[in-house]
Amino acid sequence: MKKLVITAATLATMVLGAGSLAEAGPYGTAGCGLGSIVFGNSPGIVQIFAATTNGTFATQTFGITSGTSNCVDGGGGGPTAAAFIQTNRQALSKEISRGNGETIANLSTLSGCTDPNAVGASLQKNFKVIFPDATVSDTQVSSSMISVLRTDKTLGCAKLI
Amino acid sequence: MRAAWLIVASAACRGLIIALAAASCLTRQGGQLTRQTLSPLAADRLAYARELEQTARRMRLAEAEQWLRLGHWHATLSGYLESQADGDNFFMSPNGKTNPELELEATIEGFFSELAPYDPKEKAVQHPICQFPARFAWLSDQLKIDPSRLPAHDCARYEQFKSLVRPESVALVFSSYYLNNPASAFGHTFLRFHKAQYDVPVKQRELLDFGVEFSADPDTHFAPVYAIKGMIGAFPGTFRRLPYYYKVREYNDYESRDLWEYDIKLTPKQLDMLVAHVWELGSTFFDYFYLSENCSYHILGAIEAADLDVDLTSHLGWPVIPADAVKALYANPGFVTGLHYRPSSRTRFNWEVRGMTSAQEAAIERLIIDPKTSLAELAPRQQIEAIDAAQDLVDLRYAKELVGDKGTGPGAKLKQALLERRAEILVPSIDHPPPVPLDREPQLGHGSRRIGLGGGGDLKSQHFLALDLRLALHDLADPPNGYPELSELEFLPTRLRYDATFQHVALDQLDLVHVISLTPQNAFDRHLSWEFRLGSERIDDAGCNCYVFHGQFGGGITFATAEQRAAIFFLTNAHVWSGMHLDGLFHAPIRLGIGPEGGVRLRIAPNFIALVIGEWDWLPAQTGFAAWNATATLRWAVAHWLALDATAQYDERTGTGVVSTYLYF
Repeated sequence: MKKLVITAATLATMVLGAGSLAEAGPYGTAGCGLGSIVFGNSPGIVQIFAATTNGTFATQTFGITSGTSNCVDGGGGGPTAAAFIQTNRQALSKEISRGNGETIANLSTLSGCTDPNAVGASLQKNFKVIFPDATVSDTQVSSSMISVLRTDKTLGCAKLI
Repeated sequence: MRAAWLIVASAACRGLIIALAAASCLTRQGGQLTRQTLSPLAADRLAYARELEQTARRMRLAEAEQWLRLGHWHATLSGYLESQADGDNFFMSPNGKTNPELELEATIEGFFSELAPYDPKEKAVQHPICQFPARFAWLSDQLKIDPSRLPAHDCARYEQFKSLVRPESVALVFSSYYLNNPASAFGHTFLRFHKAQYDVPVKQRELLDFGVEFSADPDTHFAPVYAIKGMIGAFPGTFRRLPYYYKVREYNDYESRDLWEYDIKLTPKQLDMLVAHVWELGSTFFDYFYLSENCSYHILGAIEAADLDVDLTSHLGWPVIPADAVKALYANPGFVTGLHYRPSSRTRFNWEVRGMTSAQEAAIERLIIDPKTSLAELAPRQQIEAIDAAQDLVDLRYAKELVGDKGTGPGAKLKQALLERRAEILVPSIDHPPPVPLDREPQLGHGSRRIGLGGGGDLKSQHFLALDLRLALHDLADPPNGYPELSELEFLPTRLRYDATFQHVALDQLDLVHVISLTPQNAFDRHLSWEFRLGSERIDDAGCNCYVFHGQFGGGITFATAEQRAAIFFLTNAHVWSGMHLDGLFHAPIRLGIGPEGGVRLRIAPNFIALVIGEWDWLPAQTGFAAWNATATLRWAVAHWLALDATAQYDERTGTGVVSTYLYF
């Protein structure tokens, strides 16, 4: 029977409290986007049975483990712009091509920028810098996006130091 | 021969159970225990602690509702109290799991103890004041503990957690059903802490909130073992904190599930208590039972510990379905203060293309083949809408590839081309969020269990009573509010018949699971519809009149119109039946069938549904060339807990008519 296989699943997920607060592992190249969740193959019939007997099948199957990559926010800290960008890469790429959106607005808040619309417009103008092609890694995307935000002083992204 | 098989099977079963038990024990070995890392109390502190213990006994604090909720003690079948928490480090007394009073005294003494030197890599150890901030807050308040007499303690980790979560309010989030992703069949619930950040509009900071969920840590992905271990509580379940943006991406985008956020009423003090208690729960695990003590149960248990005025878990029946958690909130009048809807990517896309011209629709279809196609026939704003919709469609169609690939697949290339094209038009898009589908609000759904009683007769003038039992959840004719319109998900549907003429009871049908997922075809969604059934039923035809196991799987297409109120579907099914007395394939006790199934479902009025289904199966090389049956149902939901049903069924032997009453609870 086919089954879902999770080869890697990482994120700033921490088992709360004592015990197992995740430690930031070595910086990897994969980043910590949703891309780190990979399906081995598609669900089979027994899997459907397992699913119907279980309310949180999804979460378990996705096996979000304690962070082992650079997206762990400073060993238990708040979200960083880099981690946010990497996880939200697919949504951000779309919003940036359109010049606005919820994810851009939240990134703008996280980075302390003054006006989310101005952030959207600036990122849209720099689309090709941030997303030169589909194969750029999540970490490359986050570093070039942060550098765009830093460089454009009119945006006032004060929390990106 | 059969006996030999039985012995082998039962030995294998026992072996499996032992293996499971052994494996589950392995997961239980935790790290160092806090209670074994405490130095003996100094004399003056010991005396003060004893004094407080005496006061606590006088006040009967160990029996107080707040204490019992904080420790998750519940009466077991034998009448004794036992904590549902299974991690040893949740208890300061070695007997704490079964004795709230000893636990209370050990907790007080723990507060006044100092930590002995320990391996700094041992993350399980914290000073008891830091590990149990909710217990500490409540006991300090009750016993007026003098803070100056406490030992030094450094709660840096807890303080960091608190400052990160820092909620102004909290919501229970229900992530809805989407059957085309079987993993999400029953939905999921988790908490969202709305972070206090007053200087920015809510819409610009929602994603920066934190979610807290309770979920199992399975040690196997091998489905049969997974299912069994999940049933018997052999996986540990733990509380986790995740960025809310992660949950949004996972559910809304990746799995295309709508999110419903229920704001709940907690005072600032109760909010503090919830944050503190969730931290406490982080130091333990609970055996995870899919059907009872699951994600929904323990999330509600955590809320209860913070707010003594609400009763939540007592409103849960068996099995616990995530939507039941939402209904439990509503069972406490005034507890839900607001409801917010976060539509999935699929819902958004469908809404987006609804208002489009046919020229725009045609443009979208061209764009996803050739992203550089000319859009000269469209006005500038229409061009933007078409490109945006084409991007969204690529996200839907290539969801798996886009998050699981390095950007080399066809979906990634197509998306990149559409993004580049859109980015050249320096005009921001206008967001048109879909309206809240008011009749889909999950709390409106009928109860997850069903019992039905009916009377009927057949063409041979025999009369019977029909009893219908079902553990969960919904079929195509059930009251549709609060559920997906064209989905059926049944767990243990059972049909019994009492024959008045011959005065005997017969089991007609007992399925383990029956799922139907109908996805209407449209220009952009070509998902197949499918049906799956595993269980048993009575056969009465040329093959035998006997009770047999039955498996069925089929796929096909559905067309729907008028907001899915009228739907027609065609499936091709493959069946396997097997039973001792069955005269089947070359006279072996197994029957194979394949054939078409068709149906029409009409939602005639908001609470009135007509459903007609017919099926014909070819039985190659078997007694009886074919089997067929047709069923017509009319069901009227009088209330969300009550429906009246008239069903007529016809097959090669006879026709029956039954009138029933269904109760949902």
